[in-house]
Amino acid sequence: MSDVGFVIAAYGVILGGLGLYAATLLRRLRVAREASLRIRREAEAAPPPDRPA
Amino acid sequence: MRVRLLGIIGLAGVAAATGFGLFVVPADLNQGDAQRIMYPHVASAWLAYGSFGTTALAGIGYLWKRDLRLDAIAVAGAEIGVIFTAFAIWGGMMWGRPVWGVFWQWEDPRLTTTALLLALYVGYLLFRRLTDDPARRAARAAVVGIVAAIDIPIVHFSVEWWRGLHQGPTIGSPDKVLNPSAPAQFVIALVGMVAAFTLVWLYLMIRRYQLARIEWQIEEHGRLGRISAARRAASVSTVGPAEEGLR
Repeated sequence: MSDVGFVIAAYGVILGGLGLYAATLLRRLRVAREASLRIRREAEAAPPPDRPA
Repeated sequence: MRVRLLGIIGLAGVAAATGFGLFVVPADLNQGDAQRIMYPHVASAWLAYGSFGTTALAGIGYLWKRDLRLDAIAVAGAEIGVIFTAFAIWGGMMWGRPVWGVFWQWEDPRLTTTALLLALYVGYLLFRRLTDDPARRAARAAVVGIVAAIDIPIVHFSVEWWRGLHQGPTIGSPDKVLNPSAPAQFVIALVGMVAAFTLVWLYLMIRRYQLARIEWQIEEHGRLGRISAARRAASVSTVGPAEEGLR
């Protein structure tokens, strides 16, 4: 492999990896936000807990 | 919105620094085009140090203040540090093969201690999965993060302390910053890439921190739900079915 091949491999993996990690992180964040919102809505909709007599 | 803007500026910066490093800066007289790999390699390595340093400092802060937000910063630093360390190792390997003739050499202290750094923080991330209790996990992880950070100065000074394939620092001391041995264009390309990567790093740190906070809230909700279900089950078994029927 020529020097240029190593340069392409280095930049490709580093920049591609950075983009892939950023995209995965944003997806994880979106899923977590949706789950958090769902939990909050369920908690608001749930009946109040039974109080002891 | 500001965080998104930071991400866009970082992305544009990386694109500009890549274009400058690949197409504007001339090839090195001795190393040829392989020299261009140095820009993302060095930037990744410095940010790996920064990430793990952040994890260690946040760990010290957590042990002192017992604030789970500091634990969120610590985990963000560790995860992003692992990513940047992997990039630094990959870039170094791609540079090493055409310049040194080998991808890797275990006898080289810089390479070996960097591989150890990667293993330590992958271990840190796995270690965090051992316990469900956020406070206990944060305290234990803080200790592991601080102990693992001992390897950071060892990695950095390994090229001065021991002999190996890896060259000494091009810009490491104040004198070398003011009078770098590399040509000005090379230094501009390196500093530009470090600056652009730093913006992206900051953006990723903020996003990973936000994720850690939300994950903690979801986890806490699940934990409280399990505790309340266990309490309900315990009270039903104590009251008994007959008494329950009289109510």
